[in-house]
Amino acid sequence: MLSPTAMKHVRLLVLAEDLPTASLALAETGLFHPDARAPDEARLDTAPARDYRRHHERARQRLDKLAELLDLALPQHIDQPRVIEPESLAALDHWLGELWQTASAHAEGLRQLDDEARLVAEHQAALANFAALDIDLAVLRNNTRFLDIHVGMVPRENLARLGGALGLAHYLVHVYMQRGDQTHVVIVGPSDAAPESLPQVLAAAGFQALPIPVELDREPARVRQQLETRSADIARRRAALERELAEWGADHRAQLLAAQQTLLLAAPLVALDPALRASGPLAHLAGWVPASAVEALEQRLRETLPHPFALSARDPRADERRLVPTVITRNRLLAPFATLVGQYGIPEYGEVDPTPLFAVTFLLMFGSMFGDLGQGAVIALAAWLLRRRLGRFWPFGLLAGLSSMAFGLVFGSVFGNEHLIPALWMSPLTDPLRMLTLALLWGVGFITLACTLAIYNRVAVGRWRDAVLGHHGAVNLVFYLALVGAGVGLAEDGALAPWPATIAGLALATLAWASWREQQGPLIERALVVFIATLETVIGYVSNTLSFLRVAAFGLNHVALAIAVYTLAGMLGEVGHLITLVLGNLFIIVLEGGIVMIQVMRLQYYEGFSRYFSGDGHAFAPLRLPRD
Amino acid sequence: MADADHAYLDARVSMMATGLHDPDTIDRLATLPLSALVDQLGLDALLDAAPSPRARSRAIEQALVHQLLAELQVLIRPLQGDERELMLAWGRKYALYNLKTLLRGKLHALEAETIAEQLFDLPAPIRLPIHTLFRAESVEELLRQLETGPYRQIARQAREVYARRREPFALEAAIDQHYYLGLARHVRTFGAPHGTALRRLIGAALDRVDLLWLLRFRLCYGLSPSETFYWLVPSTGLLGRERLLRLVALDGLEPVIEALPAPLAGQLAGSEDIAEVQRRVNIHSATIARALLAHGDSAPARALAYLMLREADLLRLFAIIQGRLLGLAQHTIDAALERAPSGCTWRAAACTRREET
Repeated sequence: MLSPTAMKHVRLLVLAEDLPTASLALAETGLFHPDARAPDEARLDTAPARDYRRHHERARQRLDKLAELLDLALPQHIDQPRVIEPESLAALDHWLGELWQTASAHAEGLRQLDDEARLVAEHQAALANFAALDIDLAVLRNNTRFLDIHVGMVPRENLARLGGALGLAHYLVHVYMQRGDQTHVVIVGPSDAAPESLPQVLAAAGFQALPIPVELDREPARVRQQLETRSADIARRRAALERELAEWGADHRAQLLAAQQTLLLAAPLVALDPALRASGPLAHLAGWVPASAVEALEQRLRETLPHPFALSARDPRADERRLVPTVITRNRLLAPFATLVGQYGIPEYGEVDPTPLFAVTFLLMFGSMFGDLGQGAVIALAAWLLRRRLGRFWPFGLLAGLSSMAFGLVFGSVFGNEHLIPALWMSPLTDPLRMLTLALLWGVGFITLACTLAIYNRVAVGRWRDAVLGHHGAVNLVFYLALVGAGVGLAEDGALAPWPATIAGLALATLAWASWREQQGPLIERALVVFIATLETVIGYVSNTLSFLRVAAFGLNHVALAIAVYTLAGMLGEVGHLITLVLGNLFIIVLEGGIVMIQVMRLQYYEGFSRYFSGDGHAFAPLRLPRD
Repeated sequence: MADADHAYLDARVSMMATGLHDPDTIDRLATLPLSALVDQLGLDALLDAAPSPRARSRAIEQALVHQLLAELQVLIRPLQGDERELMLAWGRKYALYNLKTLLRGKLHALEAETIAEQLFDLPAPIRLPIHTLFRAESVEELLRQLETGPYRQIARQAREVYARRREPFALEAAIDQHYYLGLARHVRTFGAPHGTALRRLIGAALDRVDLLWLLRFRLCYGLSPSETFYWLVPSTGLLGRERLLRLVALDGLEPVIEALPAPLAGQLAGSEDIAEVQRRVNIHSATIARALLAHGDSAPARALAYLMLREADLLRLFAIIQGRLLGLAQHTIDAALERAPSGCTWRAAACTRREET
C-alpha cells in the first residue's frame, strides 16, 4: 500500500487519420498520462492536431458565449462516446460562428435599444428644461446666417477639453444642464468660420445631438407625447427582441447541447495536442501508463483502431524519474488524507506514498489528544450529517470523531465526565508523567520511522550518498538512536551509558566530516559552518523529540478544560448547569478540537514530511472522458 | 530627509537606484557584441531557448518588462491608498499595450496564438481579463467585454469613438488619452507632503507626451488646432491647458519651440526635427526624475521616479539587444539610444551609405 504504482513509458505510432479514434480510446481507459517531450526522431516535426485544437478552442468559446447569452446550462458529462472527426469539428466551429453572429447581432440590438432609451430619456429631460424657458426655441433649432448651433450632450469628463478645442475655432460651449455623467450643452459658433474638423472633434468628444422639435413652442404636450410614445415603442421592441432571442435559443437548444457533447468528446485529442508529433501520415504519441495496465490499453487500441499501430513500453530511465507521474491514492476513506498530503506536495515517483501512514498516525495523535466518547461522537455525527457540504472531506471528520471516541473509551471520558463509564486504561490526569513518557516514546518511534522512510526513499531513487550521510539519513538515524540510548541511561542511572554515547559521538563526527567535505571557502568559514551544522543536528533531534510532548500535553489539557467546565457548571443552578455543560462542550469541540487539529498537522508536516518526503513529484493525470 | 512613514520604501528605492545604468555604462553596453551583452545581463538562456530572431526579441522584451513590473510590485507593497493606486495607474500602460495588441489582432483577424505571443505577462493588479477578451470576435465585442471590468471608462470611450469614426487611430488615441487623463486626474488629488513632487514628476511625463503629440498631430498628420487640442492632456507641469491652447494655434516647429515656457524653450532651441525634440524632451523629463530620485523628500515620488528611469534603462537595453539581433548598423542603434543629436545620426548614416557605394 505504501509502495508507488509502477509506471511504464509508452510510445504509440498510429496513422494520423486514426488520432481521433486513438485519443477517444485512450481517454475511455483513463490510463494514459501524456508526455509532451518531443520524440528523438527529428523527422517527427509537425503538430497533426493543431488545426483540430484551434477549431475546438474557437468552437468552445463560441458555445460558451452562446450559453451565457441564452442562459443555457451546458452538461459537463458525455452521454455516448463517439469519434469526432476533424471535418465535423470544423463544421461545428463554422456553424457556431454563424450562430454567434446572429446571437451577437440580437445582443447588440438590445444594447442599442438601451442606448436609444437612454437618449430618449435625456431628450425628455432636455425638452422639459427648454419648455420652461421663455425664449424663442426656433433660434436654437435652426442655424442662422451668422450662427452655427448644436444642441446635445457630451460626457462630463470630456467637457473641459471640448470647450477648449471649440474655443480655438471661436465656438462657445454653454452648459445648461447636468444629468448623471452627461452634460447637456448648446454649442454656438460663427457660421462662416466653422472648422472642417468640427464633426471629428464632436465625435471624438462623444457629443450626441438632441434636436429641438419644431412643435415644442406651440404644442409641448404633443412633443412630450411623441417622446413617451417613442419610449414605449423602444420598450416594446426590446421585449419583442428578447422574446425573439429566447425563441431562437429554444429552437437551437437541442443542437447546442449536441454541440457540447461533440466538444467534450473532441477534448481528449485537444489535450493530446502538445504531446503529438507527426511526419506525413504517421503520428507519434508518448505517455505514462501504470505497468499493470499496458496490456489492457493495447487490447483496447486493438479493438478500436481501424488501421495497424505500434505500441512499445519500457521502464522509466533513471534520468527521467522526475518526469514520471505518481498515482495518487484513490481509496475513498484515504482521499481526504491524500488531499492534505497534496497540500505539502506530491510524492516523487519511487518515493513511499505517505498517505496511509499519515492517516494512521494522524488519527492516533488526534484521538489521544482529544479523547472523549461524547465529543468524538458529536464530531463523527456532524461529519455524517454534513457529508454533502463537506464533499470528500466527510470521511476525515468521521474517522477523527471515531478515533476520539475510541480514545474516550480508553480514558473513560464522556463529554468530559470521567465517572459515567469505566476507563479501559486510565484518565490522562491520573498519571501525567506516564503520559508524557509515552508521548516521548511515541515521538522517538515517529522520528525513527520518518528517518527510515527517508533512507528508503533515497535508496529507491538511487541517491545512496544522501541515504547514508544526508539529512535524516542512516548515520543521522544511528546518531539519534544512540542519543536516545544515552539519554535513557542518563535518566535511569544518572550517567551516560558508555556505548550509546560513543556511538553517538562517532556518528556525529562522521556527519561533521561529511559536512566539512561539502563546504567550500576559507578554513575558518568551513569550520564555523560545520560547527553550527553539527550543533543544529544535536539540538534539532532533541527539540524535535521534545516537540511530541504536546501529544500528552493536549490530552492533559483536554481533561483540565473539562474539569473547568464542570467546576463552573457546579456553581450554577440546574438550568445554568445544563447550559454551561452544553456551551462548555461546544467550546471544547470547536476551539480545542481546532487547535489539536492544527498541532497534529504541524507534527506531521514538520516532524514527518520534512524528513522523508520531497513532495517534488507530479500527479498522474490521465486523459479521461467526463462521465457521470 | 525623506518622510518617516515611508522609511522602508525610501531605503528600498535608494538600494534599487544603485542598479540604474549611467550614460557611460549604456555607451559601453552599446558597443558589446550580442553574446557578451546578454551574458552580462543574464539573458543568455532566453536567447538559447528561442528559435528565431523575432522570438528571441520577443522573449527579451518580455523578460525586461517582467523585471520592471516585478520591481513595481516590490515598491507598491509598503504603499496603500492613493499612492499605491497612482503607481498601479502608471503600470497600467502595459495592460493598455496588451489591449492595443488585442485590438490590432482583432482588426487584422489574427489567430489567437499569434496575438497571445505578443502579449505581456502582467502581474495580477494590472492584468486584463485576457481569457474573456480572447473570446471576442470583433473590436466592438472586445470593448463591450472590457466594459464590465475596471477598464470600463477607457473601454466605453474607445468603443464610442470607434463606433463613430471606425478608425484605428481614433481608437488608440482614445485609449492613450484616457490613460494619461487618468494619471493627471489621479495626481491632482494629492496634497502635502507628496503632491508637489508627484505633480512635478507626472507633469514632466505629460509635458513630454503633449509636446510630441502636438508636433506630430499638427505637423505630421495635419490635424486642426481644435482637434489637436482635444487629444492633448493638460499637464500638471509646464504645459497646462492655457499653454496648450496657445501652442496648438501655432504653425511650424520653430514657433512652437519659441512659445514653450522656460526651461523647455532653452533646452529645445535649435531642434530641427521632431526626433531631436523627442531626444531633448526625454533628457528633460529624465533630468527631473533623476533630481527627484536623488534629492526628493517624498518616497512615493522617488519610487515612481525610479520606475520611470528604470523603464527608460530597460528600453535602452532592449534597443541595443534588438539592434544586435537584427544586425542593424551601429549608428541606427545609436539613434535609438538617442546618444547624439538626431541630425548627426542621420548624417552618419548617409556617410556610411556613401562609403558603401
